[in-house]
Amino acid sequence: MNGLDAYVYLKSPIHRWEPRCKLVALLALIFAFAFVKQLILLPVMVGVTIVYYGVSRLPGSFLLKRLRYPGFFLAAIAVLLPFSVGNIVIWQLGVLALRQEGLLALILIVTRFLCILTVGLILFGTAPFLTSIKAMRSLGLPSVLADMMLLSYRYIEQFGEDLKRMQTAMRLRGFRANKFSRRNLTVLASLAGSLLVRSYEQSQQVYQAMILRGYGCVPSRRHQLFKIHASDLIGLLVTCVVALGFVVAEIILTNA
Amino acid sequence: MHIPDGILPASIIVAGYATTGGVTWYSLRQIKRDKNPQANIPKASLLTAAFFVASWIHIPVPPVSVHLILNGLLGTILGYYAFPAILIGLFFQAVMFQHGGLSTLGVNATMFGIPAILAYHLFRLCHKVGKNNSVWTGMFAFLSGAGGLGLSVVIFFLLVITNIPANIDAAMERNVIYGLVLAHIPLMLIEGAFTAAVTLFLMRVKPELLKQ
Repeated sequence: MNGLDAYVYLKSPIHRWEPRCKLVALLALIFAFAFVKQLILLPVMVGVTIVYYGVSRLPGSFLLKRLRYPGFFLAAIAVLLPFSVGNIVIWQLGVLALRQEGLLALILIVTRFLCILTVGLILFGTAPFLTSIKAMRSLGLPSVLADMMLLSYRYIEQFGEDLKRMQTAMRLRGFRANKFSRRNLTVLASLAGSLLVRSYEQSQQVYQAMILRGYGCVPSRRHQLFKIHASDLIGLLVTCVVALGFVVAEIILTNA
Repeated sequence: MHIPDGILPASIIVAGYATTGGVTWYSLRQIKRDKNPQANIPKASLLTAAFFVASWIHIPVPPVSVHLILNGLLGTILGYYAFPAILIGLFFQAVMFQHGGLSTLGVNATMFGIPAILAYHLFRLCHKVGKNNSVWTGMFAFLSGAGGLGLSVVIFFLLVITNIPANIDAAMERNVIYGLVLAHIPLMLIEGAFTAAVTLFLMRVKPELLKQ
């Protein structure tokens, strides 16, 4: 969905990595990146991210395409932070003053943001999304959450199509949402309400179909889904050591 | 209005996950008290998907258009299922659209989920005071929708402004938070009006959806 699964067919060590080991290792790396505050660690963080992205063999265009939406956030803080935060002025043009503290904060936030986002893409762009959810379930995600996640994922695309169809039907009947008015708000609320009613009615059929297929009666076979090899454990260990390295380095540099 | 990766310090991220873990555990405990929790899972899941899609509906506010958060409405309809539903919706948004983030998932879930649960309890007051006519239902739905978003907005700006990794003057920080929260009041009113309109629509068309 949404092109996230576009490169799961590639063959790379990250693609072959056992999903549970990959999930634990890359999440540890994400949290370690979030822990970093020292600017000196940022080049190392970027280097590690580039190495993992290179090993995953995902194309650069995949990452760039995914940066389009968060680009608005990056643009907003790039405009606001360096000119509004801090006391030391390093460049001035009229009322516009570039401040050192704001600029350093911007560098820290943007680097952390890009590295975490890239590692997240490596994590979910190198395995089918359903495999990742099953891996989470194997790692102890509560069954209610896992079932809700799988079912919601299954129906998002269908409801998206339903919404498009209903919006087209509204336009064909002359509805134009080009101004804010009570009538337009009521019509759009009815659109959302219709979507909820449709999903509710469909959920009753889905539940009956699930019961007929033994939902809640068949024991889970989650332990048979994945098989861990020595190389998976080595990857897990190496990544956890790298993640721990960032945390230890951050603590040492902060206390130095 | 999601907090992206990279902006918050690790302590807040860990606290966000801890709060989300606690509230998820409590919500699941409440869900398991249902007569038949298994029967409600498909309903909650499909409604989660429907809410995810309904948040793509844009409300025209010239010269721009806004999309709604709908956490108050989620609480009103899903009750304690709202928190897992929001957690799942935010996870999908972070993974599929890079909207929000994986490291900030806990913080975002707390920011939208706790107001959703409070909105649920607020809406239930309508039944408790025994005023089940459309005027009172609409009014409580409005308060749930506007209040749900309002609380999320306050949490959002408090977290973002107080955690920018640079020194900001305390008075300026306070003024910025006040200013940004006040700027969101029109959005809260729109969210409240939309929640009331959807609730009244459901009351007419499918009242059992409101009987969580």
